[in-house]
Amino acid sequence: MALNLYRGKSHAGRRTKIWFLVLGILLTIGLFWSGRKVIKYTSTNNYCVSCHIHPMADQSWKLSTHYNNSSGVIVNCVDCHLPPEGEGYLFAKAKTGLKDLYGFYFKDSSKFDWEKKGLLENAKKIVYENSCLECHSNLFPVTLSVNGGNAHLLYTTSKDPISCLNCHLNVGHYDPAAAAHAHDSSFGVTVTSTEPPFESPAKVDRFEDFTEMIPGTRVSFRMIALPGGEFNMGSPDDEPLRDADEGPVRKVKLSKFWMAETEVTWDEYMAFFRATSSQGRTEGTVVSNKKTDAISGATPPWGAPDQGWGRGDRPAITMSWHAANVYCQWLSQVTGKKFRLPTEAEWEYACRAGTETPYFFEGNPKKLTSDGFFRKIFGPDTTLISSMVIYNVNSPSKTEEPSAVKANPFGLRNMAGNVAEFCSDYYSPDFYKADSTGINPRGPSKGPEHVIRGGSFKSDAKDVRSAARDFTKTKAWLVTDPQMPKSIWWYSDCIDVGFRVVCEIDSITGR
Amino acid sequence: MKDIDRRKFISRAAMAGIGIAGAGALLASCKKKIDASELKLPPVLRGAPKGKKLRAGLIGTGDRGTGAAINFISSGPDLEIIALADVFQDKIDACRTRFASFNLPIPEENCFTGFDGYKKLMAIPEVDVVLLATPPQFRPEHFLEAVVTKKHVFMEKPSAVDPVGIRSIITSAKKAEAIGLNVVTGTQRRHQEDYLATYTEVMNGAIGRITSAKAFWNQNHVWYREREPGWNDMEYMIRNWNNFCWLCGDHILDTHVHNIDVINWFMGKHPDKAIGYGGRARRVTGDQYDFFSVDFDYGNGISSHSMCRQIDSCANGTGEIIMGTEGYTNCQNTIWDLEGNIKWKFEYPKDENGNQMETILIPPYVQEHMHLVYAIRTGNYVNEAERTAESTLTAIMGRTAAYTGRAVTWDEIFKSDMDLGPSKIEMGPVDVIFDVPVPGTPVESNVKPLFKGQII
Repeated sequence: MALNLYRGKSHAGRRTKIWFLVLGILLTIGLFWSGRKVIKYTSTNNYCVSCHIHPMADQSWKLSTHYNNSSGVIVNCVDCHLPPEGEGYLFAKAKTGLKDLYGFYFKDSSKFDWEKKGLLENAKKIVYENSCLECHSNLFPVTLSVNGGNAHLLYTTSKDPISCLNCHLNVGHYDPAAAAHAHDSSFGVTVTSTEPPFESPAKVDRFEDFTEMIPGTRVSFRMIALPGGEFNMGSPDDEPLRDADEGPVRKVKLSKFWMAETEVTWDEYMAFFRATSSQGRTEGTVVSNKKTDAISGATPPWGAPDQGWGRGDRPAITMSWHAANVYCQWLSQVTGKKFRLPTEAEWEYACRAGTETPYFFEGNPKKLTSDGFFRKIFGPDTTLISSMVIYNVNSPSKTEEPSAVKANPFGLRNMAGNVAEFCSDYYSPDFYKADSTGINPRGPSKGPEHVIRGGSFKSDAKDVRSAARDFTKTKAWLVTDPQMPKSIWWYSDCIDVGFRVVCEIDSITGR
Repeated sequence: MKDIDRRKFISRAAMAGIGIAGAGALLASCKKKIDASELKLPPVLRGAPKGKKLRAGLIGTGDRGTGAAINFISSGPDLEIIALADVFQDKIDACRTRFASFNLPIPEENCFTGFDGYKKLMAIPEVDVVLLATPPQFRPEHFLEAVVTKKHVFMEKPSAVDPVGIRSIITSAKKAEAIGLNVVTGTQRRHQEDYLATYTEVMNGAIGRITSAKAFWNQNHVWYREREPGWNDMEYMIRNWNNFCWLCGDHILDTHVHNIDVINWFMGKHPDKAIGYGGRARRVTGDQYDFFSVDFDYGNGISSHSMCRQIDSCANGTGEIIMGTEGYTNCQNTIWDLEGNIKWKFEYPKDENGNQMETILIPPYVQEHMHLVYAIRTGNYVNEAERTAESTLTAIMGRTAAYTGRAVTWDEIFKSDMDLGPSKIEMGPVDVIFDVPVPGTPVESNVKPLFKGQII
């Protein structure tokens, strides 16, 4: 009986086991099948569009060459925004999916800054290089142009990383402003103003604020007289979020000088471009103009140097340090004064305007920074800084006109933020230690890169501090310039640096 | 692919049979020789295989072009020259007459003169292959047009005369590769059986690790044309192209590039840097040098001394020497040990009378065309354009170093915007000054003789 029972039980057990096995297999197949269906379904364009709250991205995609092209092939969202299958596809899908779910349920999508997400450095994070190459396996189609050939040779041979997006940022989402992708030889040729041009530059006979006028144009700008004085340059060790190159703090004495109220505007820069632009066959060499002292200026740029944001009073950008320097020489020539780029010391003195705090207004960098997890969730109070500085929190991911901010105590606008500014000094991280004079210091005599100061619309609050230092990155800023040698006038890959001029007192007094 | 797998399987099975200890001994005793296919060497053929008829057009119908066309038709069956293009009518006439004398007439309507003759030739759909044999200044645009019109290509060295041209050639090479157009270049040493055998020996360690090299092309003066009345500047320069840098690239490109190419081949790379000298001692026309001496730096202390000269009554000779840790070779047929004893020699074939020959059976100038036809007819793809462009750029780097006196790096020359010659290529006067380059900068000095003949 016991045996029987055992047998019966064993029978039943085996049958159950078999049923379970069959059920298991069926379930697995079902899951697998539905899983595949789910993966497939959640990878369709409709699914993406269904909860991604960005109608403009959907529209710009449809206008782009990846949707609207003569071959009739449509490139789907996941073709670019996920890696190719078998190369971390599922992992990336899960990660992106979780992020999207979080964003969908816990964040206010109307506050997303889509324009910022479309900037190169952000776009690189959500577009997969291998996915580009998955379809574009032939980088040398027969129809490729000479410049395209040069650029793709650079891409295939470069030891420095270059992404497809460096040159092809807007191919997935159409941007009419960036669509111009050719040598813009008509750049700045037309003058719109109908008023009579200034006949002569400003006459200055004493040390006070004045309005400079560029003869032959309608362009003018304010110069602020800054008294000479002594100040503490650099940041003390206990300043929050400082970098080591900002110290040690040292006493620096400066003579009086004028500084422009605002960063050099497009109007000002275009006056220079119109007057001096050259159409050299070779871009990479300074054409020495043998007849008298004429200054030979920039070659026409590629694409739109203003990024389609507009010119006018916006700060001019994408010109090289060299171009900025030649601008000053030209401005000196046409005004009969001595204009130049500020030294790093002059810049910091002007920015601080007598203050010794991290900013020329009240604020703690530690509280204002957006770096760090908690900062992202609990945003700081940015009312004051936003009224003074165009930086990553309040900027629409582009430059603003000077009127958007208040001036510092010296009356200068946008010293911090909007665009970073070239200085005349070479950059050295330990120059503060090395400099012993402390009187009108001019930086190291040699160096690979120049100082830039002031942070930009892309910067975090910690990088718009008065003492924060940075420097030009010539190689990286020219990485996609298709010309060989590369332009000495325009940076192809830097959109947030400009400059401001100073005027020397000597040129007025004749000393 | 399948074959390789099978070979692997057999060797594995054999290994298992022999046992581990035995296998070790076997591996040590007969290390497998790296063979031609692993070294990616071209096939050595006795003739191009049969196949679909191939019709070729010749662009640049001078002596070398006509020679290349004859090499092409003699490399195998069913090969024809059906079209010609050249800047000058007399060059076309001479070439046509030559072919007519072989009873191979070329129809007059397929002959095109002028700078755009090549375009008209390549527009003929029946043309399958183009032979590019003009002065190298024109090669980049001709090669690009060939790729656009989907022709297979034989092209002469050098590839171009300046970096802008070189980049064009490399880009076109990649375009050709993408759509399966075969390209063979006139670097005949790389198709020469004795060179190929020597290369195989060296790659199998016959001279150990390569430590240095020497490449030389020293010869008597070369041809030049005197200007004839009635010739405009452009016509004169093209008829005397071998003496103008913008057309020829100077003789470090024109001839010496062969030796430079062999050194790059054996080294397995191009040099990183060049420092060189050169000058013009006895040249009669044009703007080129007649001697160069260049040190090509391959990195890790390895250099190749490159020299070339075109002056009469000097120590002359051409060739290459490569030194290794265990011997040296002339790259062509002989390997010596470090004491100068012959370690290995290429066995040349015997002629029909049984006498030892001193050359290989098939001239390399024909062998390279056999390779091209073989590649087209069998589908074994070949594209030599990029590597020849690299060797040409190596020569340009050396030339620039000598012309300027500066050290020139690969990176610099690869990206250079040097673009030689007048911006417009058309018959008529040319208002460009062709100065002979002088290296360095002058010494500022007031030293001059006080009277005629004073020693200063």
